[in-house]
Amino acid sequence: MASYILKRILAAIGTLLIIMAITFFLMNAIPGNPFLSEKASPQAIELAFKKYGLDKPLIVQFRNYVSNYLHGDLGVSLKMQEGTDVAKILFQQGKFDLSIKLGISALVLAVLIGIPLGCIAAYRRGTWLDGLLRVMTTVGVAIPTFVLATLLLAVLAVQLRWLDPKSGSLTDFRSFIMPVISLSSYYICYVAKLTRTSMLDAINQDYIRTARAKGVKTRVLVLKHALRNSLIPVITYLGPVTAGIITGSFVVESTFQIPGLGKYFVQSVLNRDYPVIMATTVVLSALVIVMNLVVDIAYRLVDPRITLTNREG
Amino acid sequence: MKERFAKISPFQVDPKEIEQAFGLNSGDFEAASETEKESVVEKRKSVSYWRDAWRRFRANTVSMIALFVFILCLLFAFVGPSLVPYGYGDQYRSSQKLSPFELSKDEAKVEALSGHCDAFYATALQPGSLTAIKKGDYFIRFGGKTYAFTASKAIEKSVIVLDVKAEEPLMLVKMSDIQDDGTWKKSTPIEHTDTPAEGAAEIKLISRVFPHVFGTDSAGRDLMARTMYGAQVSIIIGISAAIIVLLIGSVYGAISGLAGGAVDFVMMRIVELIYSIPEVLIVLLLQVVLKDPLQAWFDAHKTGIGGMLGDLGAGIVSIFITFALLYWVTMARIVRGQVLQLRKQEYVTAAVALGATSGRIIKRHLLPNAVGSLVITTCLQIPSAIFLESFLSFLGLGVSAPMASLGSLCSDALETITLFPHRLFYPAIMLTVIVLTLNLIGDGLRDALDPRLKK
Repeated sequence: MASYILKRILAAIGTLLIIMAITFFLMNAIPGNPFLSEKASPQAIELAFKKYGLDKPLIVQFRNYVSNYLHGDLGVSLKMQEGTDVAKILFQQGKFDLSIKLGISALVLAVLIGIPLGCIAAYRRGTWLDGLLRVMTTVGVAIPTFVLATLLLAVLAVQLRWLDPKSGSLTDFRSFIMPVISLSSYYICYVAKLTRTSMLDAINQDYIRTARAKGVKTRVLVLKHALRNSLIPVITYLGPVTAGIITGSFVVESTFQIPGLGKYFVQSVLNRDYPVIMATTVVLSALVIVMNLVVDIAYRLVDPRITLTNREG
Repeated sequence: MKERFAKISPFQVDPKEIEQAFGLNSGDFEAASETEKESVVEKRKSVSYWRDAWRRFRANTVSMIALFVFILCLLFAFVGPSLVPYGYGDQYRSSQKLSPFELSKDEAKVEALSGHCDAFYATALQPGSLTAIKKGDYFIRFGGKTYAFTASKAIEKSVIVLDVKAEEPLMLVKMSDIQDDGTWKKSTPIEHTDTPAEGAAEIKLISRVFPHVFGTDSAGRDLMARTMYGAQVSIIIGISAAIIVLLIGSVYGAISGLAGGAVDFVMMRIVELIYSIPEVLIVLLLQVVLKDPLQAWFDAHKTGIGGMLGDLGAGIVSIFITFALLYWVTMARIVRGQVLQLRKQEYVTAAVALGATSGRIIKRHLLPNAVGSLVITTCLQIPSAIFLESFLSFLGLGVSAPMASLGSLCSDALETITLFPHRLFYPAIMLTVIVLTLNLIGDGLRDALDPRLKK
């Protein structure tokens, strides 16, 4: 187990390095530079290049990034908040917090609503309730996040005037409603579908029949025997989804005007603020990689039959 | 018969005794006659895989309805634009910000004419400029007759009216002379001949004003036409991206699965690496990186493949490149899994034992057995490509104006959501319906092509 985790962490660092290299290559390939503006004279640009080390060869710049990151230094913003530490921008100005708050709320909602819905549908399969849930989840996975977000905005905020169209910095419960619903609806539906399928699989197994014959109560049967065995596909799905939820928040953030990480990333790309692009990518990638690792370990806790070392891709 | 059962050794029993002992009839062992052989020939043709799948698919009501609705969407997107007189980029100056079916002042005025004449042509209803008719030669074909005339100066803010029964069938009416009930105060007859001059341009008359079914946007563009073109763009992107993914993913997965060993190990590590990249970040970067160089390349290569891709626009082509770079990994994994699983099957072992070549095994055994999951995965890839494109267009990185996609239409609508919520409604519904029907068709295909997976 320990050697497996160690191996995975090493692989994760390798992956992060490659992601850094790809990001570095791509962002330097974006035409233009952060200091380009109507007022800027060539001399001023040259000076700024010198100041931030952009005049050095690319390979040296990349090496500097890597060594700075290893020392925990994410660099300073070149344009959007010139001279401010990127780490400060991401973590202390609430951007990271906002995105994580939004993402975690949506994830929790997906688990807390999606799994029970899937269980109910599987348990009541063939009834009108199952049919209704099936229609709901099928439609739910077909609605793009931004469509749902804008529809909610149009109905709840504009027509009915129940909620404020700009959620801002998510200070109270009401401001959470629209962003979290629009972000999580797809995942709720998908998790419900997945749970239903794997629950049906589990319910038809012999051990369930045995347990029933033994006289185990239905509640215990569903929660303990069937659910536990049907959670693996759901957990497999939830790992990579963390990434999706945070990237999906790009759209939600721009629709509800939440100043989160997603929105800031889009702006940083458009502004060619290299250190911000790099830091955001690395922070989000690290998050995704860590989540994948956590899921792989959670696997084992849920199902001891899975041996971590021999998992086939 | 006799010879065959002739006694070979003293221990052998007389055939007659066997017949009697077991109740057999020696006639049963006669060679079959031609008529008897015919009865064994198959009377019904065996059902092919695709026919069988189609039969199962047809029995699935939900999928059939989805297929029907999707075909309607296809008609809307691909046949629709030829039925609507408006283009996706045409701006009608006087028709800005209309509600569904609402006519602008000019249009209402011209529409009122329809009861009082046979056909008309209003410069005010032409896209962009009010001076749609410049100085020059023109001709009109209507009811089997040709009316040719010369405009000695540009005609603007006027309507060419054709009334076959009137004394002067072709006349020019100033917009300001048209009254609300559709009659006009005065008109100028247009001198015309039957034969058009060389190089004359045709003017197409209309007898009714085509309504803006979905209304218009702030630039005076017809929203139904834009939604049609947007759906077209989305569907084309979805299908092309799915094909790109199918090609790259299946070749990569098949090589990895068939080669095995170190090759497989390295190839799968690459897949894992791409898997763990937060794709949206890279996609956003790629879009920004690719857009300008692609545009420059298109501008430099106007002929051949450059021109073809250039028509699609740099935004769409960079979406294809993104798919080719990042999105084939799921397909590759599925194909590799299939190959590994199928390779271990007894019938493949049997084929190998019988001396079949690798080519034959791939062609006769692996491909036909994997084709079901290939089709299903490809079909489910289409909505995901449409999702991605609309997401990028929504963020302002996909197609560039005046081209529309369903995502960019939604994004445009968001800016005016407080005043015109209906503008969001049509592209959003269209997008949802396309994705929903494709998902349902994919589910139906899975049940039909691979009944083992049916849950």
